[in-house]
Amino acid sequence: MPKIVVDPVTRIEGHLRIEAIVEGGKIVDAWSSGTMWRGIENIVKGRDPREVWLILSRICGV
Amino acid sequence: MLKSKDTIFDGLYSFGVSRRNFIKFCASMSATLALSSSAVPQIVEALEKKKKPYAIWLHFQECTGDTESILRASKPSIAQIVLDIVSLEYHETIMAGSGHAAEKALHDVVKNQKAKYIAIVEGSIPIKDGGIYCTIGGRTALDIANEVCGNAFVTLNVGSCSCWGGVSSAKPNPTGAVGIADAVSGIKYVNLPGCPVNAENITATIVHYLTFGTLPVLDRHNRPLFAYGKRIHDNCERRPHFDAGQFVRKWGDEGHRLGWCLYELGCKGPMAYKNCPTIKWNEGISYPIQAGHPCFACASNDSWDVFGPIYTRAPHVPGAGYQATADKIGAAVVAGTAAAVATHAAIRTFLGYKQKEKFAKEKDEADKIK
Repeated sequence: MPKIVVDPVTRIEGHLRIEAIVEGGKIVDAWSSGTMWRGIENIVKGRDPREVWLILSRICGV
Repeated sequence: MLKSKDTIFDGLYSFGVSRRNFIKFCASMSATLALSSSAVPQIVEALEKKKKPYAIWLHFQECTGDTESILRASKPSIAQIVLDIVSLEYHETIMAGSGHAAEKALHDVVKNQKAKYIAIVEGSIPIKDGGIYCTIGGRTALDIANEVCGNAFVTLNVGSCSCWGGVSSAKPNPTGAVGIADAVSGIKYVNLPGCPVNAENITATIVHYLTFGTLPVLDRHNRPLFAYGKRIHDNCERRPHFDAGQFVRKWGDEGHRLGWCLYELGCKGPMAYKNCPTIKWNEGISYPIQAGHPCFACASNDSWDVFGPIYTRAPHVPGAGYQATADKIGAAVVAGTAAAVATHAAIRTFLGYKQKEKFAKEKDEADKIK
């Protein structure tokens, strides 16, 4: 079974990887993965709630 | 993308940028670089004749805010100019190819233009757990940075994340995020911090290199002095209110509506170095302080932890409201206006000197903690 991997997927924000299994010209199974993690949820834990928006707004700058 | 044999002006012209706008752009670059107007013809000549250098734009742990900063910029059409001043061969957000095709473009430049191309990096590099927290094409960010930045003529770190880790490295720094220079040793680099970076500062750095063949003068943090040599506090349009002791005490109070100083709300302008008050954002319309929000020193190292809490007043900034104090003392001590002015000046100088000493001491201590 041929496996197709597209990594990086461009023209998006962030990092994305797509893997697909092709059988007879049809995709029978596929996976997508975000390949970057910063742990922002852990960074905001215990901080002054008033500054959390400044940090969370940096999850995506688009 | 244009062929690299084209000159920069050819490229701009083909995109419909007029000669007039081109000259205006060169003049604005000269101003941003703090050069005299006599440098404008040199910049014009360089951009007219020089070939575009190859560039690779890498994305690691980032939010694409720095890319947005450039794509949304203008003056005139900086989006075109930045994307055209260099032959941008790889940029994940805007390139057409994906997957293998994209990776091939990257390798071609690294192989064929070794030590000649510019690497522009957005985002930090996670070094914890073997670097698994950021991978592209099956390779870790660290691996890619070693190859691409290690073989580049120069690396431009755009945005605070690639300079020193930025928001990804805020405590407890879950992924061990660091800046590029900390991850890849021995590279030649320029730091252009900010959250996000200001497109004009990137463009001006490249224009400086194309015109004079050298990088602009850098400070001890590898930041160009033209952009990071001055304190925000010293160029702030709210500064007279600081000196006069007119502070915003609460969000939306009368002082806030009148545009008074934001120091009491936690403004870190007195510790932050950047040219925000002069070049501003959104085509020179405004910047955070002008819009009524305190500066939180986004372009400073560890701004999320060392300079915080963001909405708490920074301690012992020299000179807060001493003009008002001096006025009161002056009026009480002497009756005559002339004498009051003289006393005011003397007290101001004396207090300024004492506060400066105190501030320098505190800064040294803060540096030690870092």
